[in-house]
Amino acid sequence: MYFRILPSRPALAPASSKDYGVTAQLGHWLTALLLVGSFWLGWTMTDMALSPTRLRYFSYHKWIGVTVFGLAVLRILWRQWARPPALPAQMAAWEQAAARLSHVLLYLLLLAIPLSGWLMSSAKGYQTVYLGLLPIPDLIGKDKALGKQLEEVHELLATGLLLVIAVHALAALKHHFHDRDDVLARMLPGLRPRGERK
Amino acid sequence: MRKLLLALLLSGVSLAAAAAERAIDPKHSEIRFSVKQMGVPVEGQFRRFEARLAFDPAKPEASRAEISVDIASVDAGSAEADEVAVDKPWLDQAGFPRATFRSSAVRSLGGSRYEARGTLSIRGKAREISVPFSAQQQPDGATLLSGQFGIRRSDFGIGGGEWNESDLVANEVPVSFRLMLAPAR
Repeated sequence: MYFRILPSRPALAPASSKDYGVTAQLGHWLTALLLVGSFWLGWTMTDMALSPTRLRYFSYHKWIGVTVFGLAVLRILWRQWARPPALPAQMAAWEQAAARLSHVLLYLLLLAIPLSGWLMSSAKGYQTVYLGLLPIPDLIGKDKALGKQLEEVHELLATGLLLVIAVHALAALKHHFHDRDDVLARMLPGLRPRGERK
Repeated sequence: MRKLLLALLLSGVSLAAAAAERAIDPKHSEIRFSVKQMGVPVEGQFRRFEARLAFDPAKPEASRAEISVDIASVDAGSAEADEVAVDKPWLDQAGFPRATFRSSAVRSLGGSRYEARGTLSIRGKAREISVPFSAQQQPDGATLLSGQFGIRRSDFGIGGGEWNESDLVANEVPVSFRLMLAPAR
């Protein structure tokens, strides 16, 4: 009963100032799904000996990274047009500031991590070829030492992203179960924000 | 005196029949290849090889080449790729430590372009190939021979088993070379 049948309003735009649109929700959950795959691949493949499977995992990991980067760019652009709903008014000023900061960090990391991965790959002598079809030019040439440094940067940023995601998810749960506001519900596709449930 | 004259004449004759062999300058010579993995070209090279080359641009037919590549000297892009490259399914260094090319005929293609035909042996399998190349005279009298050709891994049984599943590693392997011949003496 919490699930709306097909919306009568234009599907792409936010229903109201209280809701994320379907587009933003799709971007969010697709990114979440891709990140699960990417982290799993990233951890698994780096522990493997060179094999056909490892080769595949590296390619998939890079393709996912390029996709996440592209999605992040689109999502940032989309936000400029379809502004996200305002934070609940009852949030303290520091909470609002923390929420904004964590979102800025999330987007920055979603851009920076694929970028560092792409540069690392170039430095290690492997061009990134999206889906095995679209070659992405190398910005830097082969440089072993630089490749090693970029690997550390990539790993550090990825660990940072995990931490921010943990804060992000815990905050969403806290909003839902403790504050009992709409912050989590409005990112769940098909779920009507509490304020609109009667 | 007569004998000496005769010897000189004879050596002149043999020089005319076959071009003189010239040493190669390893610093300015290379044999490179590219292996495409899931669409990603990975550059590699062989760091050690010997070449017995005789090349005369005026009489290309008199030219000949014998190149022997040390399989163990492969650089396949990374340390772990090197290990796989010399392993049994790939170049099988233990079984076949050298890859060789021996020319059978060299002809001019016009201008500074030439073509060498000959036998390429890798992993114990021999294939006739033709190698187009160009010769560029250097200011110091050296001659740079450079060219490229393609081989198919499957022709030589390089990289079998699961590596050949789907399009993981391309069958076509472009090879390019630069051989700097020391000035003729």
